[in-house]
Amino acid sequence: MIASLLPLLSPGTLLAAAVTSTAASLWLLLPRGLTGTAERTSRWLGSLLGLAALACFIATGHRLGGLGDEAVFLIVSLVAVISGAATVVSRSPVYAAIWFALALAGVAGVLLVLGAQFLGVATIVVYAGAILVMFLFVLMLAQPAGMAPYDRVSNEPLLSAVAGAVLLGILSLTIGRLTAEPPACCLMPATKTALLAGSATAADGEATDSDRGSVDLLAENHVARLGGELFGRHLLAVEVAGVLLLVALIGSIAIVSRGGSGGGSGGGFGDGDARATRRAVS
Amino acid sequence: MTPAPLVLNGLVVGAILFALGLVGILARRNLIVMFLCAELMLQGISVSLVSWSRHHGDWGGHVLVIFVLTVAACEAAVALVFVLQAFSRTGRLDSAAWQSLRESNLPRVVDHELPAVDTVPHMFPRLTPAGIEPPVDEDALLEREQV
Repeated sequence: MIASLLPLLSPGTLLAAAVTSTAASLWLLLPRGLTGTAERTSRWLGSLLGLAALACFIATGHRLGGLGDEAVFLIVSLVAVISGAATVVSRSPVYAAIWFALALAGVAGVLLVLGAQFLGVATIVVYAGAILVMFLFVLMLAQPAGMAPYDRVSNEPLLSAVAGAVLLGILSLTIGRLTAEPPACCLMPATKTALLAGSATAADGEATDSDRGSVDLLAENHVARLGGELFGRHLLAVEVAGVLLLVALIGSIAIVSRGGSGGGSGGGFGDGDARATRRAVS
Repeated sequence: MTPAPLVLNGLVVGAILFALGLVGILARRNLIVMFLCAELMLQGISVSLVSWSRHHGDWGGHVLVIFVLTVAACEAAVALVFVLQAFSRTGRLDSAAWQSLRESNLPRVVDHELPAVDTVPHMFPRLTPAGIEPPVDEDALLEREQV
């Protein structure tokens, strides 16, 4: 029944519905200082609206040009998007970090489907393995007992949700315009098109043309070619990145060792740490 | 040249992740959650870059994403140190605790009707206690205090 309804709706209507329900669901889901039944109701409503927004987005993509052809891509991108939304709206920062780990797994899947094998694995290893664990360490060091009141309220939830949804709508419109036929005034003259097609390596039609470059990216020895590119054309940038890492390392050590002078004790987080230890012992 | 559907879908996923991160940065008040949202925006950018790289068929997007990873690692190291320092000064992870740093012509943020106490009980899983409780060793307690 839904499939028969789909052709009736124009992509613009679908996109407008998607943007509106995104804003409403984010507003309902963000912490607004509600408690008890009101909070639970608003979260349920928000989740339902969020699922509706996702369905609208998928339908828009379907109308625009075949979302859902790649089932694996659909699944991993749904994992990434849903857990990204849960990261944003989680009350507890620990849960937010764990949802973010799941979002990273989804993003790694998306990167793998897009043909970036090394980056997919690097996302898991570097982000989920190192950066996220560091976040969790800091959370465990700094999180006060129980749920803090400032985790249960937001700055301007309605305005932020609307801003994000409007940005999303504009970006989707721009992306959707990439597929559309250019208007008659901007059509290329036939000779120019022929010239372009002749200059491309594959001269036979749009399908091979649009997938032209993927031949190089999807070839064997993916990592070796990426390394060759990285240490060939971008050697100077690699050196600069190494210097940046060193500077960040030294800078963070300097901040920690000097930070205690304001608080009175030697260590950077000496007070909170000692208090936590005393609480654990008693 | 029209991009392939897969490239377009990757761009849409990147846009959604970026917008979600933006909402989080704007709305949340916990410093660490704001930071996680910034990382979410970086993830959206990475997905977009890889999509464009696939569209154009060169390695530029991949190389840029590697540098994004590097910069994210540096940024996380420095900013987490900042967060720890801020926490040791105020005892809170609240970004509004630092609003004295705002511009002089902006109004002060005042919290209305903050939920004072956590009314929802936490339902964390617990292991069932098993065996006998060992006797408390006073020396071990003293040592632990000094760690």
